[in-house]
Amino acid sequence: MNNTLENRLLAEKITWRRLDAGLEVFVLPKPGYNKKYATFATRFGSVDSRFVVEGEGEELEVPDGVAHFLEHKLFEEEGGSVSDRFARLGASSNAFTNFTNTAYLFSTTENFTECLEILLDFVQEPYFTEESVEKEKGIIEQEIRMYEDNPQWRVFFNLLEALYQQHPVQKDIAGTVDSIRRIDKDVLYKCYRTFYHPSNMAVFVVGDVEPERILGQVESNIGRRNYRPLGEIRRIYPSEPPTLAREYISQELVVSQPIFNMGYKDLDVGYEGERQFRRELLTELVLDAVLGSSSRLYNELYEEGLIDDEFDAGHVAEKDYGHTVIGGETRDPERLYRRLREGIERAKREGISEEMFEHHRRKITGGFLKSFNSLEFVANNFLAYHFRGINFFNYLDVLNSLTPEEANHRLRSHFGDDNCARSVILPKTGTQNSKLKTRE
Amino acid sequence: MTGLSKFTLRNGINLFVHPTDKFKTILVQLVLHRHLSEADATACSLLPSVLQRGCGMYPTRRELAYKLEELYGSELMTDVVKKGERQLVSFTLDTVDDRYLPAEGNLLRKGLGIMKEVLTDPVLDGNGFKNEYVVQEKEQHERVIRGLINDKVAYSLERCLNEMCKNEPFGVFKYGSLEKLQEINPENLYGFYRRFLAESPADLYVIGGIEPNEVLSLAEETFDFPRASTAFIPDTIIRNGAGEVRYVHEELDVNQGKLVLGFRTGITYGDDDYFPLLVYNGILGGFPHSKLFQNVREKASLAYYVYSRLEKHKGLMVIAAGIEVDQYGQALEIISQQVENMAKNDFSAEEFENTVRGLRNQLLVEEDNPGLLVNRALDDTLAGRNEDTQSLLSRLAAVTREDVAKVAEKVHLDTVYFLTNKGGGQDE
Repeated sequence: MNNTLENRLLAEKITWRRLDAGLEVFVLPKPGYNKKYATFATRFGSVDSRFVVEGEGEELEVPDGVAHFLEHKLFEEEGGSVSDRFARLGASSNAFTNFTNTAYLFSTTENFTECLEILLDFVQEPYFTEESVEKEKGIIEQEIRMYEDNPQWRVFFNLLEALYQQHPVQKDIAGTVDSIRRIDKDVLYKCYRTFYHPSNMAVFVVGDVEPERILGQVESNIGRRNYRPLGEIRRIYPSEPPTLAREYISQELVVSQPIFNMGYKDLDVGYEGERQFRRELLTELVLDAVLGSSSRLYNELYEEGLIDDEFDAGHVAEKDYGHTVIGGETRDPERLYRRLREGIERAKREGISEEMFEHHRRKITGGFLKSFNSLEFVANNFLAYHFRGINFFNYLDVLNSLTPEEANHRLRSHFGDDNCARSVILPKTGTQNSKLKTRE
Repeated sequence: MTGLSKFTLRNGINLFVHPTDKFKTILVQLVLHRHLSEADATACSLLPSVLQRGCGMYPTRRELAYKLEELYGSELMTDVVKKGERQLVSFTLDTVDDRYLPAEGNLLRKGLGIMKEVLTDPVLDGNGFKNEYVVQEKEQHERVIRGLINDKVAYSLERCLNEMCKNEPFGVFKYGSLEKLQEINPENLYGFYRRFLAESPADLYVIGGIEPNEVLSLAEETFDFPRASTAFIPDTIIRNGAGEVRYVHEELDVNQGKLVLGFRTGITYGDDDYFPLLVYNGILGGFPHSKLFQNVREKASLAYYVYSRLEKHKGLMVIAAGIEVDQYGQALEIISQQVENMAKNDFSAEEFENTVRGLRNQLLVEEDNPGLLVNRALDDTLAGRNEDTQSLLSRLAAVTREDVAKVAEKVHLDTVYFLTNKGGGQDE
């Protein structure tokens, strides 16, 4: 009944089980750690804005930010907040929502069994009132306002707006001050019914624990709720044209110098599982070779004073969308853009040599091993990849199966002219000097 | 701290080793201590960036980066932090433990070899650092200083503390100032570097699957540069509050207002009162169950983030919240009410117990993170505490309500800082 996933190089072994209701439960023992961490996650994120409501056949388009709003409200229970119960047990609870998932979590050094029971219970027992839903709007409004002043966040979401014409990935995860005003109790329950069935969810537990006991506990909690099987969830994504929405987007904020992001929309999407994983790792390797800290281009730009050591490049791969984002602060976004485009063209001409390829593979291998110090990192990433049909423990095997030929092909096909957009935050004119008033 | 072995290298550097098999990495951190002063802060924070540009064996940034990457992505990082009135410059080497790379050997030794080069063999032009590197890093540093404003949360915290401690060394920004930056040239920075390396009190922390004796011999090989007698660092000035409260409103074109309240506690990490203060801060604003989160966020829906936090080496506490600019009065009133309730010893047994449990959890999980282990050891060094986790836990468990009431009397509001939008300063 139990299955195992083992990685000898990492010296880590996961025990897991799929329960009758469809929930998948993973346990990674980490002897010697004080902390025990558990996460209960669902495949429901900000991109799931249109779907057929479970049990109704009704197609619904929900206000932006609803997955994140639901995450906030699930902590509510009759007479208070579930985080109080975690606090009484000495545990720290939290949650996060991203484009594709929502995860509820806690960490603790004592009373783990009771805490796990609370986590399983509260995620499966929604309780919303009109009043509490209204009250949450003020809090989330301030969360949105905080991000409105965050230039890194704004430059990134503006870029997504430029890259995508239709796809909801361009929407801010928390929604807007206007969109969250349209959220009510009813829409939260509709989302809940559709996406919070155990067959759309998974649990990951890591720490100094016994897998058999954890699996038994989760099985008995889920088992007593008599879930009926859920059919396939029908999520409706608009068909996204290959062309950009816009080539350039800019916004003014109070910043000391411009902030620049450049993105490449992935035109070759539709992959799932291990094939998608290969493309993701391949693209990361290409980015590291072309734009990483030891690359020729990075060092030229650094010496020209066009980038600083926060400059970064990363890739996102999902089934129906994918993009590469490159950027950081710069004194001259126009020049940086030109230099990056020229530099990438040069890299395409010169190609990635076998030696360079091995070098970056080695670096990425070390980075992966290091990341295993963090229990949260392992748990959160394992589930995020699992939801994409990928076994995160295969990371090094997949990395080792990549070839320089594939890398060069990816380099030459992904970074085009027509799929490249840029986003710039410019210093707001005339606002650099603040006005100060002091009263003693 | 638990299982920490202490040694002194031949040149006087203190070595602390925490052997553990829990981690996949070995972390080596060298911390050099300086007195935080306007005169030195800029050079001190610029220096690590210049050193990272290259060394004798790897004279360019690119060659150095390439060499480190070759060692399975080993990282050599530098950082500048302010703890009390000390400016701490750290050089950190993070390498994968050889146990996880069967084909590899001696990653740590190779990494330390590079660290040694970077520290002791910089690229020179005559009597100074290579001019080009200093010019470029000065430009980068200027952007770092100016760039504080890009993160409004960090900016408002820094500004409040800066206003509050403007006549104390603590008011100095850890990256220094543009004025001082102008005065720096390759020669005077090199002179500063020589003194910095020779005189700064220095601690070396090593965490990972390695025997203390092996670390000791590796450390003697690596950090064998000559040192003079260590410079004297004055104690941090600790002030007890209770003067008039200052109100500072700053207008910028922002969407969200940032309210920051600065308090004097007069209590630091080495004091017996520290653990009661830790509990005080926890009940007030350290957790989601705390008064600030419950009243400002959950009950009044005024903020998404609101918390209180201690500066444990300077004897300060700050409360911070992001709010709508026109709700300044209401937010300040609710926050002040919570502080008053603490002063009246008005908190429940549950608030007290949840806080003690939460703090216990925090102390224990520090042992699961190499960076947090180093940070604790560093705090211990600064405060002269020499205790393991169990001892800290028993101090925490011994805290009573009366102890919390006693420290509450020492917490005094000093400065109310508000970052607001244009024209938003009129509402007081």
